[in-house]
Amino acid sequence: MSPYMLIILIFTLGLGTLITLSSSHWLIAWMGLELNTFAILPLMAQQHSPRAMEATIKYFIIQTTAATMLLFASVSNAWLSGQWEIQQMSHPTPLALITIALALKLGLAPMHAWFPEVLQGLNFSTGLILSTWQKLAPFSLLLQIPPTSSFLLITLGFISVLMGGWGGLNQTQLRKILGYSSIAHLGWMILIMQYAPPLTLLALTVYIVLTSSMFLTFLYNQATNINSLAISWTKTPMLTALTPLVLLSLGGLPPLTGFLPKWAILQELTKQGLTPVAALTALSALLSLYFYLRLSYATALTTPPNNLPATLPWRIIFKQPTTFLAVLITMSLSLLPLSPSVMAFFTF
Amino acid sequence: MKYLLFLLLFLLILGVVGVASNPSPGFAALSLVMVAGSGCSLLAGQGGYFLALILFLIYLGGMLVVFAYSVAFTGSDYVEGWGTRRISLAAAGYLLLVWGGGVILSTNLNEEFWTVGAGFGEFMFLEYSLVGVAHLYMGGGWLLVAGAWALLLVLLAVLELVRGASRGAVRVV
Repeated sequence: MSPYMLIILIFTLGLGTLITLSSSHWLIAWMGLELNTFAILPLMAQQHSPRAMEATIKYFIIQTTAATMLLFASVSNAWLSGQWEIQQMSHPTPLALITIALALKLGLAPMHAWFPEVLQGLNFSTGLILSTWQKLAPFSLLLQIPPTSSFLLITLGFISVLMGGWGGLNQTQLRKILGYSSIAHLGWMILIMQYAPPLTLLALTVYIVLTSSMFLTFLYNQATNINSLAISWTKTPMLTALTPLVLLSLGGLPPLTGFLPKWAILQELTKQGLTPVAALTALSALLSLYFYLRLSYATALTTPPNNLPATLPWRIIFKQPTTFLAVLITMSLSLLPLSPSVMAFFTF
Repeated sequence: MKYLLFLLLFLLILGVVGVASNPSPGFAALSLVMVAGSGCSLLAGQGGYFLALILFLIYLGGMLVVFAYSVAFTGSDYVEGWGTRRISLAAAGYLLLVWGGGVILSTNLNEEFWTVGAGFGEFMFLEYSLVGVAHLYMGGGWLLVAGAWALLLVLLAVLELVRGASRGAVRVV
């Protein structure tokens, strides 16, 4: 893609999120979301294959549907209450509709079916932007709206964790696995949103760090399915040694960073008296853990049969800069001892 | 005046049913012209002249024309319209839906619902859309720039998506 086009699109991605993050009027928030949608479309279609075009069109239709629902709900709210402030919504129907529209935008279950398929049609770097940056703007809106039906949010959250784990069990394509893992993590974030919003931000940040590590790892290994991942151990043995740890951190095992948001969320849920929900969600996270474990099994715990020349890539100097990945992996493995300061970082 | 109002409302409903029931985009665009034309005339008759004018110019004269041209590229041989039984039944179904919706929603017939401006009947003192546009240009500041940037971005994104031969995406390489 022409560098001028690339810089315009990336600039607009940043601008759109910034506009939504800093808005107090629903129309401005909607404008930022639309900017994000349109800016990422040419990035998604970069590969010029029918699969990429299919993913682009699916993403476009889903996002505009969600944005239209959002606009309808905010106009209804303006009619009913006379003002457009995001934090002053008072009527329950537009509130519920906005929650559902934002859930569709994020890819929460039961509106999650598009997400793994769209991710599958993209290359890893665009998929990374889709999974991390595009989640920031809808989350900022969800965090600002007044409390809505608690049943809705708990249902969205729990079903997302369940479907994210369950749907990822039968996948061999890595991008779809990452898509389902994203759905599960978003479920954890939504679950705690009405009780402790700082924990939502904590879960979101830890999720962004973890999933960026995984996307970049798969990008460097050029591995798109489990079989390719299994024979990529020779490219960078250091990365191969760390990948299972990052995957277990995604699964939420102590003493890795991924344990921190789950721990805090379960604690807060039990404090609020929602112990059955907490127990069921923790049990559903086992499903995700199973396919993370399967990936780490394929990556580092087994050596699949291969010919001799394929075991020698580590002799060639790895030219791609891995500084950012190194920082991300360090953060995804070792932030748990810093829990108090990490959590204080997000308290507002 | 009553007859004019009746004619415009009739064309409005007929156009809406046409847009919903036609599978061919050409016929649907034609119905859309009918809907927009009659809707704008109704709006102008009630005092929303600026909105009607802008809709005619930009929506019908800009967006719909471009849509009709791109639809003309996708011409198909066997175009179904209201002549076939399947589609006329669908259109009748939509008409029934509109009638039912009208019955359900026609509870408060004496209330004033117009939000076009401040005034009465044809004498609009302050049409809201006109005042809104004026405010955007006057005190909008960086929001105006952001709005213009959004329009430019959509143009560039569409051009990038449909660029032909070497860098395009819609055409399968």
